Amino acid sequence: MESLSAASYQALYLLFTGDSALWTIIGISFSVSVRALLYAAPFGILTAFLLAYFSFPGRRLLVSVFNTALSIPAVVVGLTLYILLSKAGPLGDWRLLFTQDAMILGQIFLCFPLLVAMAHSALQASDRRAWETALTLGASPLRALLTILHETRFGLIGALVASFGRIIAEVGSSMMLGGNILNYTRNIPTAIALETSKGSFAEGIALGLVLLSLALFLNILLGQVQGKGEVIQ
Amino acid sequence: MIPDTPQPWLKLERLSFSRGERTILKDISLDLRAGELTLLTGQNGSGKTTLLRILAGLLKPHQAGFQFAGNRRKWRQSYRFLREQICYLHQHPYLFDCSVYDNIAYGLKRKKLSRQVITTRVGEALELISLEHLAQRNCHELSGGEKQRVAIARAWVLSPRLMLLDEPVSNLDKRSRGICYDLINRLQQQQIGVIYTSHEPQVGWLNLSRHIHLYGGELTMKPLQPEKPTVVELHKGTTGL
Repeated sequence: MESLSAASYQALYLLFTGDSALWTIIGISFSVSVRALLYAAPFGILTAFLLAYFSFPGRRLLVSVFNTALSIPAVVVGLTLYILLSKAGPLGDWRLLFTQDAMILGQIFLCFPLLVAMAHSALQASDRRAWETALTLGASPLRALLTILHETRFGLIGALVASFGRIIAEVGSSMMLGGNILNYTRNIPTAIALETSKGSFAEGIALGLVLLSLALFLNILLGQVQGKGEVIQ
Repeated sequence: MIPDTPQPWLKLERLSFSRGERTILKDISLDLRAGELTLLTGQNGSGKTTLLRILAGLLKPHQAGFQFAGNRRKWRQSYRFLREQICYLHQHPYLFDCSVYDNIAYGLKRKKLSRQVITTRVGEALELISLEHLAQRNCHELSGGEKQRVAIARAWVLSPRLMLLDEPVSNLDKRSRGICYDLINRLQQQQIGVIYTSHEPQVGWLNLSRHIHLYGGELTMKPLQPEKPTVVELHKGTTGL
């Protein structure tokens, strides 16, 4: 086993020399997770808005379901979708298993409850007068919704960042649904798991550094955005 | 009906609203005419805000009839019209997290007016409330009195037929109250009707057209100053009239 310092040095070398295999993995990871978030975000935020602003039968049950779904492990989501998408499964005809689309599907299921729960909290804490004010000033319900989203943007951005953080780093679902195929479905977490199991730490550390840098970047970004949303003295 | 009284543009008939077992408004009827300044009084929880929210098309009543210029409409056909014609201002008005200018322009942008028209109208509104110097200030940095004036201006630029002011001066100091009263009187001069709610029957600075009172979910008419004739007729359906 190579020493940690040597592995770290090699990891940085791989990163900064633009190692194509490494950067392909990073590219796949971002492409899959960004697409999953883009698909999930509109529906997640709309669901959160409906839960926060409207009363309908089953609303409280739905809130409980989403809160419970927060703690579902990624591997369980992966397993469930694997069964559904496998050839013998009810959705086998879709031929999605071991594709990026299957990984996206898994990540949507993973981030959706988190997105809804966090966005619901943000919207629940918002001021209902904003909604009524927008309507009384002639806004359509859709325009009033956009106004509310603008008013609660700091909380919603926090929800998006947390959701992205959850899916970019998950391994269980991506491994089961993507199959860890080189240059196709191998993303950062599955690559780290594979390289570590092979004893090849340099690539694992390099990918780990990317994830750490991403976490740092997202936190700084969130801090910057939310810093402007401070309570005025 | 008093002769020479203009026809009401909106007639509200037999309006009722309850929340759970509790009846908030009972069989209320009301005529609204252009340029009327109506004082609506009632204790806390008497249903003043509920009545205003229904009038603004924001809250569905359990039972009500609406007549617009003689045409009878159901709620489903009415609430959009109410939102177009009536502006409701909360007791503590909500100002969006943007500049004074953008807040006042909000409703004008929804009407898809040209940028030039919007700029002109917002300029007039800022002049009306004497806050031209704060046009680019974020609304969250304004004082309570300034916020109230911006909220009134934001509604005024839309030229509504009626503005519903829910206890607009309850938390303002004497000077800010005076400015708000002056603004409200000017709205009336421009033939914009106003319903103004208050706990207190004494709002001497306002040029009131009538005084109505909510008690136990029922609407009654109260006398104004002796020399000041009332121009309102509340329907027979309203208890106590």
